[in-house]
Amino acid sequence: MTVILPLLFLFTATSGTAVVLVRDPTRQVFAIAINGLVLTILFDALQAPDVALSELAVGSAAVPLLFLVALMAVRTQAPGEDA
Amino acid sequence: MSPRIRVALLALSALILLPCAAQVIAGLPAFGSTIAQYGARINAITPEARHVANMVSAINFDLRGLDTLGEEFMLLAAITGTVVLLRGRRGEGMTGRAMHRPGRAVIPRSEATVLACRIAGPLTAVFGLYVVVHATVTPGGGFQGGVILASGTLLIYLGEGYTGWRDAIRSHWLDVLEGGGALLFALCGLVPMLTGAAFMQNVLPLGTFRDLFSGGLMLVENLGVAMAVTGGFTQLFLEFMEETREAEEPDEPGEESA
Amino acid sequence: MSAVTNVLPYAVAAWLFGVGLYGIATSRNFIHLVGCLGVCQSATYVLLLGLGYRWGSIAPIFYDHPPGTPAVDPVMQALVLTDIVVGATLTALLLVLTVQAYKRGGSLDPGKLRPMRAGGQTDRDRSSDRGRPAA
Repeated sequence: MTVILPLLFLFTATSGTAVVLVRDPTRQVFAIAINGLVLTILFDALQAPDVALSELAVGSAAVPLLFLVALMAVRTQAPGEDA
Repeated sequence: MSPRIRVALLALSALILLPCAAQVIAGLPAFGSTIAQYGARINAITPEARHVANMVSAINFDLRGLDTLGEEFMLLAAITGTVVLLRGRRGEGMTGRAMHRPGRAVIPRSEATVLACRIAGPLTAVFGLYVVVHATVTPGGGFQGGVILASGTLLIYLGEGYTGWRDAIRSHWLDVLEGGGALLFALCGLVPMLTGAAFMQNVLPLGTFRDLFSGGLMLVENLGVAMAVTGGFTQLFLEFMEETREAEEPDEPGEESA
Repeated sequence: MSAVTNVLPYAVAAWLFGVGLYGIATSRNFIHLVGCLGVCQSATYVLLLGLGYRWGSIAPIFYDHPPGTPAVDPVMQALVLTDIVVGATLTALLLVLTVQAYKRGGSLDPGKLRPMRAGGQTDRDRSSDRGRPAA
């Protein structure tokens, strides 16, 4: 555990940075889902199975889905001439 | 404010805040060395005092139940706000066609997808219910199980298409589920007061340690949270997807909205 | 434990918060901005769970282990647990606001967003609005 936990923390920092640096929202959705998975693994390693379960369901399934649907809503409902 | 000024302001505030953050981090206990007294005391006392194995559920539903009541209404308010914003603009009507981009070919679902969803859907629902009812024994509870149940309904959408999903899940049932869950939680706080106990005092029999029926009132509160979260999240998915419907009337009737 | 390990979780939390703020400040798209806000939020999870961890402890669930085994702090986990679920609904609310702003203003760029006014007027009418009483 002594090595795994610091590595996971660094991994979390990297995936969080990736979410910010991926500027295209369509691609960012995948970064968000991966970030959710990394956080899930980190929480599990931190002896928090309750939180990991919650993050797994919310962070890697529900929230990316909401982002996808929001992107879809923006695309299908172009108010002006250029979307 | 131009982007350049904004970044400069951010850099300036980071310069000021960074030493403060370093100071705070230096003052925190070293990672993994100790935990707070409050948590340690809860770990020591609660298994005997409340007959539950899962300390996180014990805190959420009993020791700090009032906080969870607040969270519950935060959830209710956020979802109500979302639904009001969406419905206020487009009304309460529904459509059979959503999640379809105009001008893009609709690929029919393969039979394998339908079969996989019909098998996995009920299994997901059972797993979600398992997570909900075992709140006091194993990791899980109303919050996690509720999200799993809500995500499980998406398998209906995947397998049966948008119309089938809307037929299976009625929007006003979800309203009832969500409001009813919040009401149940609030009643869990108020009903003990009728017996002369304090607000949200655990008056029900506590049950046996490591048993499914342990924790007394926690089980009811957990159920309320599960109802509210399931209803709320499914409602969110429904309303979001409804938002993607096309503005104009469908031109190819009978087409599946996969 | 080395000195780096002792402060690493807190440093990671600070980094996540900072990088999320940077993303919010420089974002050119509201949907991207909401994603960056999620990164800021995850900083609080890392901080809280980092504070509640103790080496060699079990999860605070006394099913397989007898009560009294050293366990990590359950209070922090309860905080983070509810935070995640309620935070997701708030993300949904923000996304809906984004979609509505797009429908009204026709753009997802925060820089192009104009103050909302009654009747959907844009800032072109601002100067003429001055003289009139507020609608």
